[in-house]
Amino acid sequence: MIDFSRRQFLKFTGASALGTVAATLTLEDVASAAAAAALPVGTPILVIVTLYGGNDGLNTVVPYQDSTYATMRPGISLSAADVLPLANGLALNGSMTGFKKLWDQQKLAIVLGVSYPQPNYSHFTSMAIWQTASPVEQITSGWIGRWLDAQPRDPFTAIGIGDVLTPLMAGDHRVGSVLPLYGLDVPSGSFGVEAQLLGRPSSTDTVITSMATGAIGDLFSLASTVGPVLTNVPPSTASDLAQQLDVVAKLITANVPTRVYSVTTDGFDVHADELTTQNALLGTVSDAISSFLTQVGATARANDVVVMVYSEFGRRVEANGSQGTDHGTSGPVFVAGNRIAGGFYGEQPSLTQLVDGDLAVTTDFRDVYASMLQDVLATDPQQIIPGWTTKLNLLHA
Amino acid sequence: MTVASDRLELARLVHRFGFGPKPGQFKHLLDGGIVRARASVLTHGGTDRGLARVVEPQITDLGQAPSDDAASRIYWQNVWDQYMSLAMWWLDRMVLADHPLVERMTWFWHGHWATSIDKVEFALPMKIQNETLRTYALGNFSDLSRAMVLDGALIYWLDGEVNVADAPNENLGREFMELFTLGVGNYSENDVKAAARGLTGYQVDQTSGRVTFDATQHDPAPFSLLGVHDAFSATDISDLVTSREESAAFIARRMWFRFVSTSVPMPRTLVKSFARRNIASLVYAVARDPALRRPGLSQAKSPVEWFVSACRALRVTPSKLDSGSVSWYLGQMGQFPFSPPSVGGWPFDEAWLTASSTQYRFQTAAYLVQHGSVTPLGSSKSTMVQTAADWLGVAKWSPRTEQSLRQAVSDPSALATLALCAPEYVVSV
Repeated sequence: MIDFSRRQFLKFTGASALGTVAATLTLEDVASAAAAAALPVGTPILVIVTLYGGNDGLNTVVPYQDSTYATMRPGISLSAADVLPLANGLALNGSMTGFKKLWDQQKLAIVLGVSYPQPNYSHFTSMAIWQTASPVEQITSGWIGRWLDAQPRDPFTAIGIGDVLTPLMAGDHRVGSVLPLYGLDVPSGSFGVEAQLLGRPSSTDTVITSMATGAIGDLFSLASTVGPVLTNVPPSTASDLAQQLDVVAKLITANVPTRVYSVTTDGFDVHADELTTQNALLGTVSDAISSFLTQVGATARANDVVVMVYSEFGRRVEANGSQGTDHGTSGPVFVAGNRIAGGFYGEQPSLTQLVDGDLAVTTDFRDVYASMLQDVLATDPQQIIPGWTTKLNLLHA
Repeated sequence: MTVASDRLELARLVHRFGFGPKPGQFKHLLDGGIVRARASVLTHGGTDRGLARVVEPQITDLGQAPSDDAASRIYWQNVWDQYMSLAMWWLDRMVLADHPLVERMTWFWHGHWATSIDKVEFALPMKIQNETLRTYALGNFSDLSRAMVLDGALIYWLDGEVNVADAPNENLGREFMELFTLGVGNYSENDVKAAARGLTGYQVDQTSGRVTFDATQHDPAPFSLLGVHDAFSATDISDLVTSREESAAFIARRMWFRFVSTSVPMPRTLVKSFARRNIASLVYAVARDPALRRPGLSQAKSPVEWFVSACRALRVTPSKLDSGSVSWYLGQMGQFPFSPPSVGGWPFDEAWLTASSTQYRFQTAAYLVQHGSVTPLGSSKSTMVQTAADWLGVAKWSPRTEQSLRQAVSDPSALATLALCAPEYVVSV
């Protein structure tokens, strides 16, 4: 059956359409040899993986020995034969063999029961809360965006892969850059010179036109630096997430001065037919991330990279009768890398002591962010999340 | 003598309540005065010679997929071809309409009741939904909501067809209140559970989009929804929810947000124009708000809005282009009709203004210029830059853009490509 996901249809149509592209030339024409300001080896790099849709934590890190689990999820519970046991009665979904290997190497931290007080059941509100790190007050700036606000203006500092900006990268004054999967291809020749002029700031710019201007400027500066790295298009048979992480690995290896990357994948909103869908998605996530860590693990950056994986909420404990689950509350967050002190953090929420029928929240996501900010980005968490004073210690000292 | 604020207001009107001017239209409207121009932009419902040129697509019920390989291949090719025909048909309507307000509002509602063919799979249910959105685009919101809560594509998209009395599925009930009619914070979690029960029993035939009611799967028990205790059907739920004051304020805010500003709150009086849920009167009130004459309330055009406005200026008919190329370009910029990324609809503003989308915008502009006509630019080098602003409906070029365009006056195609990618065209200033 044809898969009508957006990416798929681009692949379906892309090959023939590419040949018709006119008035642009390949990057070799404009690319300068290497990054002007290479990131020194030893500078930590954070890679944020966003799972859109609300990943079901209970079928990801599975309490497979708890009889309540099977009872409450007829038809969609995983048995001992379907999972990869870890410890404390918990196991990884059987499709996550890559993550299991990372766990065995003690490079995978699993933070349990993560959410925030009074979890919101709306995809959009809850994702906004995670991305802004502001559960109570509605704000528009993302947590990485606010970190960017405190950095010098440089389109390389934070990069998202894809076509649109992930809100977590939008600050009050600065925004992260977005790189397309299929490489960069900018106007050249005299037309290129005129096009580049459109990227110059003007005193007449509004907030929004200055963003359009900045995007044009960013395209040219990104192209000249990272363009050559991206000309090798990842294999189209790889999953979309694997392709995004392949680009990230190439940029890291090329010493591009980027300290935060954002990649995203979706499809986790499994209100129906959960087992097949979620198993496949988790397999993709686990394979893509473990291959990525293997790829950078072979370079001088092996110890620099930290990957964090989260979703906007977990799902209801009880199955909904359509072989799926409705929106729930807390779920696990994964943090992986050579410098991570592997193991469980926090407490697995009880399946019997539910709060309004849902899993309790045992860890606040801001404790994870605080660790990323302080231990990876060397930034005082309170500057990014005002008033937040606690944190997990996920990295080896 | 034209006042600068007239030019600004008109540029916003034609780009936000339409899809940009056809050649000559901006200057014509400007010369006729802003009062008449406002009325012209808000005109709808009469015969439309542009729309009359649009060819109806052949969208049919393809039935169940055959089991043998060869037949299956043809079947899925047909599924794909119908999707492309449907998308090109709608783009044609946006591009060719002389009075595009109805298409513009249909586009707005598509983003509001965001349903994606990625899950629905078949073009026919999407076409039916699209016609519903068009029928009520400027009609009564309660009627629109009643029609949508029984829309096959929407029900299928949000798992309504597996929402049964024994095992309610909350997806449709929650999004119906959160995103379509009430807004977050105006209902409780118990209301979500109640709405899910009331919406049980509506079955969808996936390939045709036909909706049937199976009383044995419906929960007939009375329950409490938004403080009212009763036995509810889908239309009862819709009527109750859209009658709430919060619903009027929510829809008015959404419209203000998409048409005027994401940063300036809507005037409190705006919601009064929506007291009877008359969408047209709300749209008129938004379009006639004095804020449209104030500088600073810029909004980024979404890729489809930008693409359609470029096609209108260049006299390009999308269905006459290669649909593979059109879907590639729009897809790379992140937006293709009938395929919103989630039930929350399309992103806005800075999300579209990335280095990535900029790269594909340059490529798309070059492609469209190659297939279109730049004759409205004329051949006079001394006036070409200003002519381009009138042609495209731009209030005023920035000094930077003027400088760039002046360098290209000896090559009108290059100038057109640059103008289409200029910040003052990519953004509705």
